[in-house]
Amino acid sequence: MEVVYELKSVCKAFDKHVVYQDMSLVISAGETLTVIGGSGMGKSVCLKLMLGLLHAESGAVLFKGDEVSALDYHGQRELRRRVAMVFQGGALFDSMTIMENVGYALREHTSMSDSEIAERAWECLEMVGLGADRAILTRMPASLSGGMRKRVAIARSIAVRPEVIFYDEPTTGLDPSNIRRIDEMIRKLQRELGVTSVVVTHDMPTAFSVSDRIAMLYDRKFPFVGTPEDFKHHAVTEVRNFVQGRISDGAQR
Amino acid sequence: MASSIQESLNAALASIGGWITSGLEWLGGIGRIGGQAVLRGLRRPFGFYDILYQVVALGVRSLPLASVMSIFIGMVLTWQFGEALIGFGAKNAVGQAAALALVRELVPGILALTVGAKMSTGMAAELGSMKVSEQIDAIASLGADPIKKLVWPRLVAATISLPLLCVWGNVLALAGGAVIADVVFDVPSDYFYETYVDELWPSDYLSGLAKSLVFGVLVGLIGCYQGFTTKYGTEAVGLATTNTVVATSVSILAMDFLLTTLFLPVQ
Repeated sequence: MEVVYELKSVCKAFDKHVVYQDMSLVISAGETLTVIGGSGMGKSVCLKLMLGLLHAESGAVLFKGDEVSALDYHGQRELRRRVAMVFQGGALFDSMTIMENVGYALREHTSMSDSEIAERAWECLEMVGLGADRAILTRMPASLSGGMRKRVAIARSIAVRPEVIFYDEPTTGLDPSNIRRIDEMIRKLQRELGVTSVVVTHDMPTAFSVSDRIAMLYDRKFPFVGTPEDFKHHAVTEVRNFVQGRISDGAQR
Repeated sequence: MASSIQESLNAALASIGGWITSGLEWLGGIGRIGGQAVLRGLRRPFGFYDILYQVVALGVRSLPLASVMSIFIGMVLTWQFGEALIGFGAKNAVGQAAALALVRELVPGILALTVGAKMSTGMAAELGSMKVSEQIDAIASLGADPIKKLVWPRLVAATISLPLLCVWGNVLALAGGAVIADVVFDVPSDYFYETYVDELWPSDYLSGLAKSLVFGVLVGLIGCYQGFTTKYGTEAVGLATTNTVVATSVSILAMDFLLTTLFLPVQ
């Protein structure tokens, strides 16, 4: 299977706080990989490294063989057209309508007209289950519920038809029915659009529901990578404890 | 005893060193964000709509405050000069006395300290909130350049708006002064106007405008830098905003002194 992302011996630190030490990970095309681990261990940092929003102190982050941190301005723009990210809180732009939010990347990367952008935004909102009322296009993010904001954020991420989507804690703070809806959506987008997905979460039901593979962040690297079934019956105590919720975070030795 | 003094001295020196280092880091950061904004902002597309939007948000919406400030500066200064000049029997020279101080110094300076501080804190709070809620990262992740999208329009808008507000402020300060001259000191307002304008050379207007222009650059840079370097949490946004007021005020006064020494060399 084609490798989309390859992280090789990555080291990343914020001042004296070392987040990654000699970390490696491979992500294949079309799969949904879920990154699990305790709060504050650097799961989101991994996504930001892959998107070029942060840079590693050493090691390599390769997207289809190209070093992400070595990309020039145009290379970075192209990367971010092909790779989208759904942020933890949605990160919708407060001052813009839902249509402007969803169409933002289209304005940046294409020469589509306003009506074409509105049509594409509408399509994306329909895909994420917000197609009941066209009035949503002119609403502001502040008028939406948490679950709806997350779904708009997903709609924004798929507007330019990316090859890879990163989800940063997509179900945090949502009620169970919305969690299930988001989980189903991640699966549906993988099925219908064929995107590669990387989901960062510490919510195990979500991890088991959406993943082809799971990678657990422990001791500043990913020593445990396997299928959901592997993780349900893992031989290593630390993994079992995390999966079964016996401890809330892994060791940072 | 000696070692205790030595330790205190070391601690004091370390503290001073820390202050100098953070000051230099801050200046470096301001220079860097300014350089990036100019380099990236001058790339096509120039973002005229975003600049215009910010000119309205920062400049046009500051008109009421700038107007009130300018009228009061003109009235207060004319009153103070008038009181002093009466003692010399020279109240008719109140226009000449007020003109230079208002046009060269007070209108650009006070407007920068009030309207400029309002602009920069607004930028810091808005950009800081965007940073905390990951909206700045979201802009980058969607393939846009946050410096070009957020810093460049604000920097240009502040640089354009402050001098324009200064021109408007000069007119209102003159009007405020004329009212006080007429009502309080019985100096006819048309006479006040003539003496006021006669006293001024084009270089006086230009030095005031040049100051406003530099203050506008400072306001834009400091507001954006403080917003972009906001740490995490809502408390950090408040802290960034407070720091912005202090940084803007101190920087404007320091720059004002520097520019005054440049425009008014010691005879």
